[in-house]
Amino acid sequence: MRKIVIIGGSAAGMMAAIAAAEQDPDAEVTVVTRDRLPYRRPAIPALIAGYITGPAGAKIFSPETLGRYNIELICPAEVTNIEPKSKVISILSNGKEEKLAYDAAVIATGGHPLIPEIPGADKKGVCTFTTYEAAAEIVETAKTASCAVVVGAGFIALEIAEALMYKGLDVYFNVRSRILRKLVEPEVSEFLIHKFEQQGLRMLTGEAISEVGGKSSVEYVVHKGNKIATNLVVMGTGVKPNVALAEKCSIELGPSGAVKLDNRMQTSVVGIYAVGDCAESPDLGTGRFVYSPVGSIGASAGKIAGRNTAGANQETAGFLRAQADQILGMQIFSIGHSTTSAKEVSLKVNVHDLSPPESTGKERITKPFEVAKLLTDDNDKIVGAQLVAKKYGAQFAWQLYGAVLARENREEFLERFNSPRMKVAEALVHAIKSTVVVESVGEDKALALADTASQENTN
Amino acid sequence: MDKAIMINIEKCLACKSCEIACAVAHSKSGVLEEAVEELPRPQRMVTVEAAGEFGVPLQCRHCEAAPCIEICPTGAIQRFDEQAPVVVDADLCIGCKLCMLICPFGVLQIGPEGRAIIKCDMCLERMGKGQEPACVEACPTGALKLISLKEATKSKRREASKQLVKEVEQKKSKSEEK
Ligand SMILES: Cc1cc2nc3c(=O)[nH]c(=O)nc-3n(C[C@H](O)[C@H](O)[C@H](O)COP(=O)(O)OP(=O)(O)OC[C@H]3O[C@@H](n4cnc5c(N)ncnc54)[C@H](O)[C@@H]3O)c2cc1C
Repeated sequence: MRKIVIIGGSAAGMMAAIAAAEQDPDAEVTVVTRDRLPYRRPAIPALIAGYITGPAGAKIFSPETLGRYNIELICPAEVTNIEPKSKVISILSNGKEEKLAYDAAVIATGGHPLIPEIPGADKKGVCTFTTYEAAAEIVETAKTASCAVVVGAGFIALEIAEALMYKGLDVYFNVRSRILRKLVEPEVSEFLIHKFEQQGLRMLTGEAISEVGGKSSVEYVVHKGNKIATNLVVMGTGVKPNVALAEKCSIELGPSGAVKLDNRMQTSVVGIYAVGDCAESPDLGTGRFVYSPVGSIGASAGKIAGRNTAGANQETAGFLRAQADQILGMQIFSIGHSTTSAKEVSLKVNVHDLSPPESTGKERITKPFEVAKLLTDDNDKIVGAQLVAKKYGAQFAWQLYGAVLARENREEFLERFNSPRMKVAEALVHAIKSTVVVESVGEDKALALADTASQENTN
Repeated sequence: MDKAIMINIEKCLACKSCEIACAVAHSKSGVLEEAVEELPRPQRMVTVEAAGEFGVPLQCRHCEAAPCIEICPTGAIQRFDEQAPVVVDADLCIGCKLCMLICPFGVLQIGPEGRAIIKCDMCLERMGKGQEPACVEACPTGALKLISLKEATKSKRREASKQLVKEVEQKKSKSEEK
C-alpha cells in the first residue's frame, strides 16, 4: 500500500491529500500540521472585526470530510525533518517524537509574514496576521488601542485595515510605493487611494515608516519625520515562502527563494512535491516559474501534486492568477498580469485604458464601472485585466477572465465587450445555457433596461 | 435541472419581501422575530436590484454548465445530481473568491462570519419538505415563481404564437386601411 504524507494542512496541503486519496483510494494518506485545526486563512479579518472568536468559526476540512477520503490528520504536530534517502519523516507531537515512512511526500508549509527591517519592529504591539495565533494578538491589542498603523500594500493588508476601522479604530495605512502595486496599474492605485481616503482610511504614502518607537511596547511610529501616536502596528508587507524543511533536506530553491519545481509539482528530490505559499508555480502563458502566494493557485497545484504522489503523471502548463476583493465599498478585480508581474517574467506588455465607449442613441451606455485596464502582449493578445467597480463589477469581471484565459485578441474582445446589443445577446445566450428564465420583455425594453441600469451604476 | 425560479420583472414591486423571507429562511432560528436579533445578521441570497423603472429580484440562476462549479479549485461548489441546485460546501471553501469573479450575475457573496462563500441554495431544505423556496412563497405579486422548465417553454410558446397572430392581424388591418 502506497504511503503518502502531506506536510501542512491548509489550502494547498489538504487539496493534495484529497486528490491523492481520490487518485488511489487504497493509499494511506496522512496530513501532518502544526495548526490545532484546519481553518480558512481569509477569515482572519473576520476574527479581527469580531465576527468570529476563533479558528473554529472558520474551520474547514472537518473530520467528516477527511473521513470520507480516509485521510488521517495528525495535529497539532510539527514536522522536524525529512530524510529522502530512508524516506522517513520525523514529527513531534505532544512532545513525543515519531517517525513516518513515506513513498511520496508533499511539502505544503505555506509562508511566513515578511517583516521589513524597520528599527523597533520587534516591539510588543507590532503584529502580523497570517495565522490565527498572530491575529489573536491584534485582537487583544486593539481592545485598548484607539489608533492603528497598518503597513503593507496588498489586498490582505487592506482587509485588515478595513476590519480595524470596523472596530472603531483610527487607521493609518502606510505604503512605501503604492497600494496593490503588484496587482494593478498606477492609475488604478491612485483611484483607490482617493476612494479609501474618502472612507476615512488615513494614507501615509511616499515612504515606509522609518521607526517604531516606545519603551518595550509600541508608542508611536515615525513617517517622513512626523510622529504618529499608536499602540498597534500591523505588518502586512507580504509573505515569504516557509522553506525551512525543504532546505534541511537540500531541496533546490528557485530564484524567488521558494521551492523550485517541475511542471508536475515535483521538487529537485524525486518523490517529494511542494505546493502553495512555500513553492513557485508556473505562470500561464509564459510557463515561467514565479512566486504567486494565493490560495486558488495553491489548491490547484495541490491537486496536481496529490494525484502525482498517487501514481498519476499530470503536468500543468501554468496557472492564471485571478483575485477578487471587496474593500471599503469598492469591488476590485485583478486577473493575470500587471505591468509589475509581467516584468518578473520578462513579458513586454502594453496597457490600455478600458473606458466604456462613446456611442449614441440607443446604443449609448454610460460608465458602468470606475476604472478598468487591459494589458496585452506584443501581438495584442490580452494577458491581464483590472477592474474597479462600486457594485456590478462581477458582470464584467467574468468576461475579462475569459479574455485573459483565452489570450483573446484585444480588438475582437472589445468589439464584443463594448457593444450593448452584444451584451444583451450574450446575456440571452447565457440565459439559455444556464436555464435562466427571465420572462422575455422584448429587445427594445431589454436594451433600455441595460441602459438605465448602467446609468444607475454611475450615480 | 427542470425546476427554476422564474422572474417576471414587470410584476416586481421592489417590496423586498423576498429578501426578508430569504434571510429568515437562512437564519439560525428561522423565525422573523428572532432572526432580526441574531448576530451576525442573517444574510439574504436574493436581492432586488433597481434597474430603471424595473425591480429585478435576482438570485442564483443555478446554471446548467455553472462557471462557479468549474472554476472552484477545491470542489466546494457542486451539485449533487443534474436535477439539484448549485450549493456551497463551506467545509471545502478556502475563501479564494474566484467564484465571485466568474459569476456573470454577481450573486455570490462573502459570508460575514467565516468568510466562506454564500449563495442561494434554492431552499433545498424547504423544497425537501415539499415547500416552495422562501422568496417565491413570499412574493405577493407572483413576480417570482417556481416553474418547471417544460411548463415555461410551453407557456412561452403560447405567448409567442399569440404575439405572432397579433402581428399578422395588425398587418392585415393596416393593409386593409390602405
Ligand atoms: C487575510 C487573508 C486573505 C486572503 N485572501 C485570499 C484570496 O482572496 N484569494 C486567494 O487566492 N488567497 C487568499 N489568501 C491567501 C491564501 O490564504 C494562501 O495563499 C493559502 O492559505 C496558502 O495555503 P498553503 O496551504 O500554501 O499554506 P498556509 O495556509 O500558509 O498553511 C501552511 C500550513 O503548513 C503548516 N506547517 C508549516 N510548517 C509546518 C511544519 N514544520 N510542520 C507541520 N506543519 C507545518 C501550517 O500549520 C499550515 O497548516 C488570503 C490570506 C489571508 C491571510
